[in-house]
Amino acid sequence: MSATSTPLEKLRATPRPFFERFYPYGFILPALLIIGLFTIYPVLYALRISAFQYVLTKPNSHPFIGFKNFEDVVTSYYFKTALINTSVYTIASVAGVILFGLLVALLLNSKNRSVNVLKIIILLPWAIPAVVAGLMWKWILNSDFGIFNAVLYSLGAIDSYIPFLADPNLAKLSLILAHIWKEGPLAAIFLLAGLQLIPNEYYEAAKIDGGSSLSVFRFITLPLLRPILLVVLVYETMTAILTFDLVYVLTGGGPGDATSLISWFAYAEIFKSLNLGTGIALSIIIALITLVLIFLYMRALRTEDTIS
Amino acid sequence: MRTNTYKIIESIFLNLLVVILIIYIAGPFLWVMSASFQGENELLKKPASFIPENPTTDNYRYVFTGQVPTSYEVTGQLRSRISQEARLIAPALKNSFIIALSVLVINLLFATPAAYAFARLRWKYRTGIYNFILGSRLMPAMAIAIPYYVIIQSLKLMNTHLSLILVHSALTIPFSIWFLTLYITSIPRDMEEAGLVDGCTYFQVLQKIVVPMIMPGLVAASAFAFMASYNEFLFARFLTTSIVSQTGPVIISSISGNPDVSYSLISVCLTLAMIPPILLAITMRKWLTEGLSSTITFR
Repeated sequence: MSATSTPLEKLRATPRPFFERFYPYGFILPALLIIGLFTIYPVLYALRISAFQYVLTKPNSHPFIGFKNFEDVVTSYYFKTALINTSVYTIASVAGVILFGLLVALLLNSKNRSVNVLKIIILLPWAIPAVVAGLMWKWILNSDFGIFNAVLYSLGAIDSYIPFLADPNLAKLSLILAHIWKEGPLAAIFLLAGLQLIPNEYYEAAKIDGGSSLSVFRFITLPLLRPILLVVLVYETMTAILTFDLVYVLTGGGPGDATSLISWFAYAEIFKSLNLGTGIALSIIIALITLVLIFLYMRALRTEDTIS
Repeated sequence: MRTNTYKIIESIFLNLLVVILIIYIAGPFLWVMSASFQGENELLKKPASFIPENPTTDNYRYVFTGQVPTSYEVTGQLRSRISQEARLIAPALKNSFIIALSVLVINLLFATPAAYAFARLRWKYRTGIYNFILGSRLMPAMAIAIPYYVIIQSLKLMNTHLSLILVHSALTIPFSIWFLTLYITSIPRDMEEAGLVDGCTYFQVLQKIVVPMIMPGLVAASAFAFMASYNEFLFARFLTTSIVSQTGPVIISSISGNPDVSYSLISVCLTLAMIPPILLAITMRKWLTEGLSSTITFR
């Protein structure tokens, strides 16, 4: 400190109370300006467009139609498909991501020496762009030249190559597999952080009492991990509901509508049908769904706090 | 004796599990890298070989210099699989770098003082503005895509680096502010108080006392901002129209839409695109893991 205090001496004379009042505002202003510009205007604009007919193929007619866009979305042929596909995808991939994350976290938390490699590579899928991951898996699962087919074939597990991305159910499964690969590592890191919060004394006490590793997990690890598990659960649910990049590259929503999730339909409305009104109305519905989920999560966390 | 056998079985099972996980996680990376060194004729064999039989750097040479690999000259059909698009990956990754590095710098310059104001200073509207900034990230990307397009167009910034620098900054700064606010709150404040008593302004306290203390947090925040920008796809997809500003993910996605493109070239593009984040993830593993962990364990 002594080294820096000398040159600052002369600043002592500045009338501190007057200047200080403006420091916080100066500190946040640059960040607030850029976030404000890209938040307030877009939200107002999106809300406005959702109440008008806005089809780019009819550039000169934008009549006010109130909630008609929302009505059109809810009664459209795709709305039910979007909800079903997204729900199935979300439930399956969140379950997969949590199981994967829990498994990896438990392994990384064990003193086992063989997990050192896992420790180094675990962040890699998380670090790369989702479109890179999607294209990687698209090619690995390719029905004519894919390496996954080649490996299965060489091992004698299959007689002929399987068209993973052309069959509706296999395409869904492939998308979920790629999603777990991409999102599982972050869940693993989060859950590992949660595991490391559990004091060692609990495990030592259980060891003295002679508990098996399964009952230690069931009665010590799982209950103490609950708060973190809940946060991961909600974060992963939102990630799954909003999945877009992976669908765009891996399956393009197909075959048919098999892997078309709700964000994909919003994209298709805006960029393919060029119907901004309904596309944005659908996006607002997605936002409301996620908001409801966040609200439920906040409530769950609060009850969690009052219990403990 | 019984416990011994049990232990051996358990250890075999655990190691097998670890091996399966390693193959699942690392397999795709290794395969794409291996394939980038194989000729197209080798890749289209059934079944393809995981290890290159005749490793070649021709594919990389084509992407960087345009010299057509010999394996394509064999038949006319293979020749058509050569995609000019693959050659765009190098300039696209350069764009990605320029944009991501700018976003990183803007994040540090804008988010650090803001986080300090939220963590340490008491002022009017503090909670409200904090919630507004964090809440801004709840807008689904698809809903704001068109408004963003309108903003960028009216600023006359379509197809420029600056457009993506602005948009990616707006998308990443809220996380950086949140992350750094948590970080600053967790460090002791005695030094700052001593600085204030000595007559430092808040800015000097931030610059000379707080910033050196939160260095690990700043490193992690920089890495997160860089990666988020480098990986972002949707906005990059429709705010750019040519290679002047198109980023790595945009080129990758457009290659993926081409049904006839050469798989060797796809592998080269994928390998080149994933080298920077992989290097970051491996060299900065400690900071990234600690940073991510702190966001979830902080109460």
